[in-house]
Amino acid sequence: MGRLPFEGIRVLDFTWYAVGPVTTKYLADYGADVVRIESAARLDGLRLAPPWKDAQPGVNRSQFFASFNSSKRGITLDMSKPAAREIFLRMLPWADVVTESFTPKTLRNWGLDFERMRAIKPDLIMLSTCMQGQTGPHRDYPGFGNLMAALSGFYHVAGYSEDEPCPPYGAYTDFIAPRFSACALIAALDYRRRTGQGQYIDMSQYEAALHNLAPMLIDYFATGRVLGPAGNRSDRYAPHGAYRCADEDGHERWIAIAVADDREWSELTRALGAEDRGGRFATMRARMGDRAALGEFIGAAVRSRKAGELTAALQGAGVAAYPVQNCMDLHHDENLEAFDFWRWLDHPEMGPSPYDGLEHRMSRTPGDLRRPAPTLGQHNDEVFREILGMDAAEIERLRKDQVIY
Amino acid sequence: MRSELLKGLRMLDLADEKGALCGKIFADMGAEVIKVEPPAGCPSRRIPPFLEDRPGPDRGLNFLAWSAGKRSITLNLETADGRDLLRLLAQSSDFLVDAFPLDYLDSLGLGHDALAELNPGLIHATVTPFGDRGPGRNYRAADIVGWASGGAMFLMGEEGKPPLQMSVPQAWLHAAGEAAVASMIAYYARAADGRGQHIVVDMQACVVWTLMNEQAMPLMHGDYLRRSGVFSGAVGGRRKTVYRCADGFVSFLIAGGPYLGSTNAVIAWMKEEGAAPDWLTREGGLKALTPSGFMAATAADLEELDRTEAVVQKFFLGKTKKEMWANILKRRMFGAPVANAADIAADPQLKARDYFVTVEHRGLGRPLTMPGAFAKMSATPIGPQGPAPQLGEHNEEIYGGVLGLSAREIVELRAVGAI
Repeated sequence: MGRLPFEGIRVLDFTWYAVGPVTTKYLADYGADVVRIESAARLDGLRLAPPWKDAQPGVNRSQFFASFNSSKRGITLDMSKPAAREIFLRMLPWADVVTESFTPKTLRNWGLDFERMRAIKPDLIMLSTCMQGQTGPHRDYPGFGNLMAALSGFYHVAGYSEDEPCPPYGAYTDFIAPRFSACALIAALDYRRRTGQGQYIDMSQYEAALHNLAPMLIDYFATGRVLGPAGNRSDRYAPHGAYRCADEDGHERWIAIAVADDREWSELTRALGAEDRGGRFATMRARMGDRAALGEFIGAAVRSRKAGELTAALQGAGVAAYPVQNCMDLHHDENLEAFDFWRWLDHPEMGPSPYDGLEHRMSRTPGDLRRPAPTLGQHNDEVFREILGMDAAEIERLRKDQVIY
Repeated sequence: MRSELLKGLRMLDLADEKGALCGKIFADMGAEVIKVEPPAGCPSRRIPPFLEDRPGPDRGLNFLAWSAGKRSITLNLETADGRDLLRLLAQSSDFLVDAFPLDYLDSLGLGHDALAELNPGLIHATVTPFGDRGPGRNYRAADIVGWASGGAMFLMGEEGKPPLQMSVPQAWLHAAGEAAVASMIAYYARAADGRGQHIVVDMQACVVWTLMNEQAMPLMHGDYLRRSGVFSGAVGGRRKTVYRCADGFVSFLIAGGPYLGSTNAVIAWMKEEGAAPDWLTREGGLKALTPSGFMAATAADLEELDRTEAVVQKFFLGKTKKEMWANILKRRMFGAPVANAADIAADPQLKARDYFVTVEHRGLGRPLTMPGAFAKMSATPIGPQGPAPQLGEHNEEIYGGVLGLSAREIVELRAVGAI
């Protein structure tokens, strides 16, 4: 205990929005010194996005930004200025890893491609993550994860029918890619430790996200079948879906239920106190044969029940079920609470703020949110003094010239 | 060729579909991933849909996708000999991943503490639905239940209709991907002192992490978001995010803030084609569009945006997905076709990057094409290492080659039902 896995690993982090910052957060929460390089001249858009402290916008008031940037330090450099690029190159030997998530032409325009950096830092690991990768005709496509979720097929498999698409919430692929890019980045660190060799990692958010639709793509290539949306219909479970329960305090309540076999079905009916007259739905074949009638049967049986109580009863009978939780429910969820998921960190401007915690827990070297997200340029003095030995006068001059900006 | 990245590392994969992606990621990175299956085969082999809708142990599309590149051995954990074999395997392995009910391995004497006594370096990840501490520690969870518990389902679908999941279920994939990251972190930690550890992954928390921080909204802005179909429901108004076009749908958003340039570009395009009403192109642009905010503020702004969406929708009806995509790329607009498998398979960008990989599946007697490398790594290229294995395909290789058992011993273990 005591030492965190990535203590001593240093990251200069140009990434912004979600995929890059969530990736480097894995390193930061486990001890790496991750220094976000931002600029007021080109603000990370998440700093402007809600939710905001007291519902009031401000560059240091977004929890959207904060949640993805715990445990990091923050500096500002306006990289459009040659003097800022010079400062970055002076900092480069300090770093083990450089990360960025701009469109590919941005770093090239700054004269900062991997080859240039590697000449200065031969064992550098660099991660570039963008929408569609560093090569190919669409490499400079700018966009967000919600558009990528449409392009990579998630919108097409979401909806009540072909004619009624209902996309997954938000920038969905932003939350697939980081798990892949973090694996690649950590493995590259380990490879460097073993061999002394750094490398360049070209991540396409699109290509990572498609792994979450691999069965659909294998199917298409093999048979030409184009999978579409199917509501909550399953070929594996019946019943399978969300069913309306009793409203509570004027809020609608639903429960998700999935029944895998006939034994579970009889347990379900017993726990619901609902009689399957004549064993109409006793077999999986029968239940799948008339999903509409089955849905009505379950719907009627749960409509006046409370979703929470029903969950306990069904799980007690060995049936997979849980309330369909809204974002407020998540904060009262006893399982998330027992996992110690929600973390309150005291941010310099926002005060105590609700951060998402880790999605896993380790027995021996547990990571944690070690500090709140940095305010814009919060660590300028500290970092420039520490890494480059700058004195207060030089930092002040660079501030005045809006190089540190 | 096995990737050099994790070459020489071994993972025992005891997980069914709930953790399958973890081993898949490790296999893609060059680790030797041994799928330890009960004699009847991993339950994930029986998950529909199947290739050509014909069931069979090698035909499940989920299995073909997420077991690609793994080895398969059969091992009956319910026999004493089988448990001994697992202990032997654990001694020469670096990783173990499982998705059993929490106390199952302990009840067999194969929990993390027991295995760590034999191999202190073993890194063991357990994928759970609701963690290991709460009242739901023994709950069961199908994918849709995880999607519901973590808040994603409530936000998908139309108001007044049931909340939705996607028809390629996603919740377990997030948990299994998280198990891969955590296993890599623990592996990096192991270099310091040679010791492994136990990791518990919480699927519900993994799903919460897909919500784009909407989860903090009720605490900071006082209310929770309702699902709203194809409309984005962020503060300040509902904006349409999916438009119908001539042969399908496109994703597009009319707004200010980061979408300002894109919105102006579509207005310019409509003007070029004589499809923009005068009010849309008047001097100074739309009042609703501000460079700073994501969303419009006043009722008049919202009304203006609604009118704009209506004329944009009409314009898009005359364009195909392909025309839309070409113009989105050319005019640098924020949009994308709602692509299906056929569109993705034909995408010139993925072709230019040699993304898809074809592997020969001996059991099926046919090649299968699947997603390729999830990252392009300059020094240690990665990617699928082969097809999904047939049941017990590598028994001789692993039991003979790795554990050094003789052919006779293997026959005997088969006879007593351990293999």
